Amino acid sequence: MKHVRLLVLTEDLPQASLALAETRCFHPDTRPPTETRLDTLPGREYCEIFNQAKSRLDKIARLVPLDTASAIDAMRVVEVAELSALNDWLGRLWGEASGYEEDFRRLDDEERLVKEQQTALENFAHLNIDLGMLRTKTRFLDFYVGLVPRENLRQLEGATGLAKHILHVYMQQGDTAHVVIVGPPGARQSQLAAVLAAAGFQNLPIPRELDREPAALQQDLARRLLDIEAQRQSLRKTLEGWGEPFHDTLLAARHTLMLAEPLVTLDPSLRSAGQLAHLAGWVPVSAVAHLEQRLRASLHHPFDLTSRDPLPDERRLVPTMPVTNPLLAPFAMLVNQYGIPAYGEIDPTPLFAVTFLLMFGSMFGDVGQGAVIAGTAWSFRDRLGRFWPFGLMAGLSSMVFGLLFGSLFGYEHILPALWMSPLSDPLLMLSIALGWGVVFLTVACLLAIYNRLAIGNRADALLGHHGVVNLIFYLSLIAGSLRVARGDGFGSVPAALIASSLLTLGWQSWRHQQASIGEKILVVFIETLETVVGYVSNTLSFLRVAAFSLNHVALSIAVFTLAGMMGDFGHVLTVILGNVFVLVLEGGIVMIQVMRLQYYEGFSRYFSGDGHLFAPLRFRPLNH
Amino acid sequence: MSHTAGQAYLNTRVSVMSIRLFSPELRVSLSQLSLPALAERFGLSALLDEQPSIAARSRAIEQSLIQVLLTELQVLAHPMSPAERALLLAWGRQYALFNLKALIRGKLYALDQEAIRANLFELPGSIRLPLPELLRAENVLELLRQLENGPYHQIARQAREVYERQREPFALEAAIDQRYYTEIVRRAMGFHHQHLDSLRRLIGAELDRVALLWLLRFRFSYRLSPSETYYQLVPSMRRLTRERLLHLVNLDTFEQVIAALPPRLRTLLAECQTISEVQQRIGHHTRREARGVLARSQSAVARALAYLMLRESDLMRLFAVVQGRLLQFPEQAIEAALDLTEPSGNPVNTTRR
Repeated sequence: MKHVRLLVLTEDLPQASLALAETRCFHPDTRPPTETRLDTLPGREYCEIFNQAKSRLDKIARLVPLDTASAIDAMRVVEVAELSALNDWLGRLWGEASGYEEDFRRLDDEERLVKEQQTALENFAHLNIDLGMLRTKTRFLDFYVGLVPRENLRQLEGATGLAKHILHVYMQQGDTAHVVIVGPPGARQSQLAAVLAAAGFQNLPIPRELDREPAALQQDLARRLLDIEAQRQSLRKTLEGWGEPFHDTLLAARHTLMLAEPLVTLDPSLRSAGQLAHLAGWVPVSAVAHLEQRLRASLHHPFDLTSRDPLPDERRLVPTMPVTNPLLAPFAMLVNQYGIPAYGEIDPTPLFAVTFLLMFGSMFGDVGQGAVIAGTAWSFRDRLGRFWPFGLMAGLSSMVFGLLFGSLFGYEHILPALWMSPLSDPLLMLSIALGWGVVFLTVACLLAIYNRLAIGNRADALLGHHGVVNLIFYLSLIAGSLRVARGDGFGSVPAALIASSLLTLGWQSWRHQQASIGEKILVVFIETLETVVGYVSNTLSFLRVAAFSLNHVALSIAVFTLAGMMGDFGHVLTVILGNVFVLVLEGGIVMIQVMRLQYYEGFSRYFSGDGHLFAPLRFRPLNH
Repeated sequence: MSHTAGQAYLNTRVSVMSIRLFSPELRVSLSQLSLPALAERFGLSALLDEQPSIAARSRAIEQSLIQVLLTELQVLAHPMSPAERALLLAWGRQYALFNLKALIRGKLYALDQEAIRANLFELPGSIRLPLPELLRAENVLELLRQLENGPYHQIARQAREVYERQREPFALEAAIDQRYYTEIVRRAMGFHHQHLDSLRRLIGAELDRVALLWLLRFRFSYRLSPSETYYQLVPSMRRLTRERLLHLVNLDTFEQVIAALPPRLRTLLAECQTISEVQQRIGHHTRREARGVLARSQSAVARALAYLMLRESDLMRLFAVVQGRLLQFPEQAIEAALDLTEPSGNPVNTTRR
């Protein structure tokens, strides 16, 4: 990756942004330039107008659906005057469109009110008063029947009391209370009106001819609901008719905004002084020449493009290129769950993919069940998106190990094993798993050492966690243990190497502590113990690879034992259900265990994961 | 962390932070400090910056003081349980509501985005409004509707309903303020007795202050009717309860209201002739109550809230001095202003236009 600095004339900025977006290889660097004179933000006004225009277009598109945005066809510069004119036009259009939105809201409110009336109607029937009188004000009494938010009820009750009115709640439903307010007419009415408005009181019209049959009244209300729905449909048609002539213009507006967006995305990186504008970013080494060529072809005025390697203190700012291989892409997604590889760090995705498939296959080796996993991933490839190759490869790996183990849906005697069934020699399986663990941890330590050397951190490569000294300790411990297993005794060379490496680590820890001597001794002791216990337990952790391959066979035996106790139909059913059980439960557990080994035993050793992905400037479809 | 350990940790944090509160001597001597002395003592580098205008410098100082307060709020909220954190954030939302009012006024007076933005505070994510979207709203209604899709939905809905009916900024802002305090009361009343007693004392004192000042302003400055006034008030759970407020709003003169207050407040405010005097004395009283909670309460959340209220009062006092110095006011004028200092984001500042 190269750090690129581009100086152009301010008037060329829109054209430069188009060229950069077209090449798709420029990741903006938002740090301000070191030259303090470059302190103006030339793209700010453009950015404000764009955001307003986009917001308006989004709002209009809620009412006037637009087709999915296609790719940019004709490239052209969108000047600020054009953008401003577009923004004004969209503002006027939204002014009209928002009227329709308000009409829809009014219909929604009306519908809600009618539904509240329907609910209230039954309630009115139980009131022991002449409701017909509530419709009109009388000489001596003033009536308000309506709805009020429940949260305002208590306060409103006090306020109506002060205005010499009585508030009666006759029904509560959801967040709304149905109330009747009664009081004397007169001067206090205006006070009450202000209070009712502040409390969000909504008048609930009492239907005329309340003395009619309730069923007839309900029919009236149902008719009103139908009428509202008809109005809504009619409004939709009107809106459709209103929007139709603007459809193409709106698509053109969206196209214009798509062309303007690269400059807006660049805004945080832009600085200028007078006519000179500055922008910087990260570009892959292989793309620098192409970028310069493209700029030369696009810009009308001279420009200055300089590139350099990233400085050591910029390492965390440099973006990392994402994995593009479609087969590795799903594994990259899992790696990214842990973190993005930092610049200069080895991308663990290929190693992760290989070791994941090896471990998953060996822990879940079965031709039939592997085929089910692979087949399911293939069948649902549209829904699984980029993740389907992961399922396919995991299934294929399971099938390969199934062939080696001679296992088909748990049957161990149908297929001849190309190697052997895990249960025929469990000790060998456990030894292989242990050996695999040693190789895995050694590779992890080597990667940790390499990653530190790559960024010039030699001290940590040598003495840090999982550095060279740690590796010498670990390999000596393994060598000594192997000798013990063979009955040759631990050996003086491994013992001496272990002692010297632990002493070195202890000395390193001692140097970095600022505490009393007693505390230093305690910390060094605990850290040394942790190193020894950590490596031993981490290696033993890989026994689970063998344990699960044995477990898989054992589970199958359990299923067949159960099936053997059934009749023919029960046998078949138990074998099918048992396989489903093994696939779902054991498959899930194996997946989790492999991920645990990868993240905890692998990534925590060598992978910092504190990088960020390369996100180049490009044209983005503005869909709504 | 267990509940007991969490309370102990929070209590310790509050105790450690409370040494930042201004001593009584400093509160008194603050008005005598010069600008360079203020800048040096409180680390207000913006005071000495070459800002283009006094307003810009004043704004930068206010922003940095609010930043200090809200950063401390976040530090205290971090180890809290969700209910405790929600109470603290509900209190801190006054600054977001200050932004909301600035946005509403800006939209009402058709100011451009830059002019509105100049009156907005930068706030932490936990209480921040979606400002870019709200700024792009075409009018007040659209703004409030946008706000209804988020944590401020209740305040926004209530405000919209009021605005749709009355189209009047005063009613709108009063509704926002009312919901703000109602939300704090609701959150506080959800605690069990271990915290509730202290919270009742602390928030009750604050609500007593707010309710009395609103009552006096609405009734005697804005001449609202008793029922309108009562509706806008938030009853306190301490002295100015619902029943007491129902009685007070019905009185016709300032003196009658003071005379009808509960004994403790009546004694405190007996000689007051103006709302300003009431504001000054009841402000002192509220701070005293907060100091009492901070010093003696067993409830960590109540102590944390008391600390924040006192800290806010100190910082706003400091800001009043800074502003007075920037505007080159005489010392007496600054001292007079200090007695009336209320937090800038405090909704009590709602004024009728």
